[in-house]
Amino acid sequence: MRGGALVAPPDRQAGVDFSQILQNILNGLSIGSVYAIFALGYTLVFSILGIINFAHGAVFTLGAYFTYALTGQRFGFNGLLSNTALPVALPFIVAMLGGATLAGLVSVLVERVAFRPLRQRNADRLLSVVSSLGVAVILVNLIQYLVGAESYSYPSNPFGLSKPAINFGSVERPIPVRSIQIVIFAVALVILLLLTLAINRTMLGKALQAVAEDLTTARLLGINTKRLIVLTFFVSGFLAGLAGTLVGASQSITGPYFGITFGLKGLGVIVLGGLGNVSGAVLGGFVIGLAEAFVPPQFVQYKEAVAFAILFLILLIRPQGLLGRTQVQKV
Amino acid sequence: MKIRQIQQVLIALLVVSLLAACGGDATPTSAPADSGGSAEPTSSSGQAAPSGEPIPIGVAVAQTSNVSLFGQEQVTGAKIAEQYFNDNGGVNGRPIKLIFQDTAGDEAGAINAFQTLINQDKVVAIVGPTLSQQAFSADPIAVQNKVPVVGPSNTAGGIPQIGEYVSRVSAPVSAVAPNAIRYALDQNPDIKKVAVLYAQNDAFSKSETVVFQRAVTDTYKLELAPVQTFQTTDTDFTTQATAVLNEKPDLVIISGLATDGGNLVKQLRELGYTGPIIGGNGFNTTNIFPVCQRFCDGIILAQAYSYQQESEINQAFRKAYKDAQGKEPPQFSAQAFAGVQVIVEALRKLGDLSSMALEQTREQLNQQILAGTYETPLGQLSFTPEGDINQSTFYVAVIKMNDSGTDGTFEFVK
Amino acid sequence: MSDFFNTYGSLIVFMVLNALLALSLYLPLMAGQLSLASPGFFALGGYIAAIMSTKVFHVEAGAYPLGYVLIEMLLAALASGVLALIVGIPSLRLRGIYLALATIAFIEIVRVLSLTLEITGGAVGIFGIPQPFGTPLGYLWLALPLLIVAALAIWRLERVRVGRAFNAIRADELAAGAMGINTTYHKVLAFTLGAILAGIVGVVYAHVLNTWNARQGTFEAGVAYLTYVLIGGSRTVVGPIVGGLALTALPEVLRSLGGESLPTWLNNFLNSGQSIIYGTLIVLSTTFFPQGLITPRLLRFWRRTRASNDQ
Repeated sequence: MRGGALVAPPDRQAGVDFSQILQNILNGLSIGSVYAIFALGYTLVFSILGIINFAHGAVFTLGAYFTYALTGQRFGFNGLLSNTALPVALPFIVAMLGGATLAGLVSVLVERVAFRPLRQRNADRLLSVVSSLGVAVILVNLIQYLVGAESYSYPSNPFGLSKPAINFGSVERPIPVRSIQIVIFAVALVILLLLTLAINRTMLGKALQAVAEDLTTARLLGINTKRLIVLTFFVSGFLAGLAGTLVGASQSITGPYFGITFGLKGLGVIVLGGLGNVSGAVLGGFVIGLAEAFVPPQFVQYKEAVAFAILFLILLIRPQGLLGRTQVQKV
Repeated sequence: MKIRQIQQVLIALLVVSLLAACGGDATPTSAPADSGGSAEPTSSSGQAAPSGEPIPIGVAVAQTSNVSLFGQEQVTGAKIAEQYFNDNGGVNGRPIKLIFQDTAGDEAGAINAFQTLINQDKVVAIVGPTLSQQAFSADPIAVQNKVPVVGPSNTAGGIPQIGEYVSRVSAPVSAVAPNAIRYALDQNPDIKKVAVLYAQNDAFSKSETVVFQRAVTDTYKLELAPVQTFQTTDTDFTTQATAVLNEKPDLVIISGLATDGGNLVKQLRELGYTGPIIGGNGFNTTNIFPVCQRFCDGIILAQAYSYQQESEINQAFRKAYKDAQGKEPPQFSAQAFAGVQVIVEALRKLGDLSSMALEQTREQLNQQILAGTYETPLGQLSFTPEGDINQSTFYVAVIKMNDSGTDGTFEFVK
Repeated sequence: MSDFFNTYGSLIVFMVLNALLALSLYLPLMAGQLSLASPGFFALGGYIAAIMSTKVFHVEAGAYPLGYVLIEMLLAALASGVLALIVGIPSLRLRGIYLALATIAFIEIVRVLSLTLEITGGAVGIFGIPQPFGTPLGYLWLALPLLIVAALAIWRLERVRVGRAFNAIRADELAAGAMGINTTYHKVLAFTLGAILAGIVGVVYAHVLNTWNARQGTFEAGVAYLTYVLIGGSRTVVGPIVGGLALTALPEVLRSLGGESLPTWLNNFLNSGQSIIYGTLIVLSTTFFPQGLITPRLLRFWRRTRASNDQ
């Protein structure tokens, strides 16, 4: 009998509902980990060049489409590549890494086309920002032109997970979390760990830090800055592509504009964490994810504004971000 | 200096483009209907190949931008209609010619397209635009110029009231939606509590959810859980899905479009919801199958168009669509077809057009459109005096997915 | 000829209005500030016009009085100005990219609010906005004077003390501050002037479009205005105007180029590839013409050649 459903269970009237809080925390961590991976690439580029790469969201989108193509699935009828598919069909994990690699290469190309010429001319940094916006416009519309505006999905359950969700609560009071989101969370932690190790423990990382500190001095010290910049863009694009694929696996690729929301919210994430600060990007991602998850259900229509309200507040109160140092002079 | 020369060449190009925009009326596509003597009325009727000067009918839908997903389906449907009616004698022996003007996804684009179709291409009537918001913007232009407009997919309230030259073949949601709830209750009379979600940035979903909510509380006296909203651009619905699960509803009703709606269904199911789900009319497209895959199975939805409708014209349309696109026709294509059909059949009743001035043709055509009754792929339809659609049948379908979850069908139930 | 004006009347009006929007973005740029906020103020102005004309002023029949439109413009200017101060002051204390980020946040918040609030009509928006003119071309009576006034005002501004301060900040903000220029004051001033202009244009736009909704004034729209400025030229007032006029006309030109004589792939590209062309133009112009096509030097060069020809 369902008649009892009309009476609210006692714990819901008691004010504080701990399972609800736990649910919100888990939801926030899972979406926050996507923001974090996304923002890592953003912030890496900022840390060495002092430039926000607006094409990052488009590379994220491309990565998801590359993976789709590499799994050998067919495209729809609305684009130039109407009803075509690659002759190969790679296993999903391989396709994901392949897609991320391709996204990394595109990111290198973006650097070559939109950033390097301007840097060589010693142009105003604002122009680089604008130029990267131009690249974003090209990439997004190229996707639409080639494969149409429809959404695409990977084969169901690409990671071969045994259950669609895991219950962190009890049977009568379930606190379910989708398994794919746990995968994303784990991947985010692994990436953060690897990246922190790479930056702090390797020669390359040290060189990167030197470049981030001061490009010209680093060059004088004999660091091959050009190669380092290319490498940074590759890593940034790789991470974006990986994030795109993961989100695509969790939620399907929702069209060429797929990455735009992440691109815009990502700005909030990196400013919150501190522009150019790698751990800050991760922290910012989780904070914004949690803030969104804790929006009460009756105000859910304002959820989309949370990241932007935070961005605005942080500019007001602490423009250097949570983990940033006070001097941020770059554009 | 070289740079300066390039610069001047580019500026010259910009200026030329300005002038070209202004001088653009030399396009070859314009074919005025009132060009008098050149059109010979053919005496033969019926199946003979139509001849003579084609009658221009405008189609202004979103062929580019992110709205093109719908616009492209409409183009396909309209083109099938052009071919079909020209193969079936055209308009009393004269062929029709569809003139497409892209509106893109915005309001300004719709206005520009309407102006071009009306003043330059001299069309007798227009099918379009794609979005209700664009219709609010462009339809007043057609009303001012006294050109009939048939809206193929404008479902918001207030569209037919824009003016006497505006009608639509897309049923407003109020008519379609409640049928699905009745079906769900028939299947499961124990339903007590209903959770409703809708896409707040989609005009259609927003008006549809009001109808659903009213049906839940007023018509069927069920309990309504706090309403959840999302945006069509959202991809993560964890917050909404867990809030819904907390309410332990017996039925979930979602008004959204294929991608966001499909995603929401998928995440709701993965998180453990097992009860029935009703989808709004935005779910009525095969585009939803790849999004929610096996989790689409069992979604109940109200349809304004069912490809299983058995009329001769629908089966002809369905076959033509399948031959061209390799899948079942979506509602947007069928509605665009119906839009062209309404205009063609009304034109046929006007008789000899060559003796009429364009203004007269447009005016009388509008009267004929509103007066007629049409057997379309959507079923039988006619118009209210204001131009709103009277559609005689609506359909309820249940999605059935194949075992691998890659493809599905809409199983017509009512 | 009347066919021509009937067909392209709206397009000409859109061209003029977009030139104005380009100017609204050019104003903060004069002081070296990249702002993408114009669409937000533009949306605000449009909502003020839509709400005032459909809910406050009730005009039963006939043309909507121009006086009411002017009142709406005044209100929009006030509201945009105040809001610009609220957004501008905190973010303009900082140097660099922060204004761009704050303005992106601003337009996204405006978009969410206009989707959510009751008074803005949600996703459907507000429709049935009354018309002060019988034909679309009539709007030139509003748009053209507005463009002329704005252009002259900015032209003049560039030649007075405030404009020179803008220029100094753009050239080197630290140096300008050291010279005793109040940089925050001037940056906020430039930003606010741009916001007021965008709000006023929104009023006219809402009447032209007959309807207003949350799809107006998005991030993408901001990128489009930026394109007008950058390609037209970001160093002289002529640049944004030419950019706005030409790039609004460009899609229509491309569309009419796509006749039946061209190969299908090219035709398709011209139809759906406009944005790709836009993006390419942005990248090329930032690299090769960082000041845009129409630069002060070029204007001087033209003036000189004309002068020498006259002699």
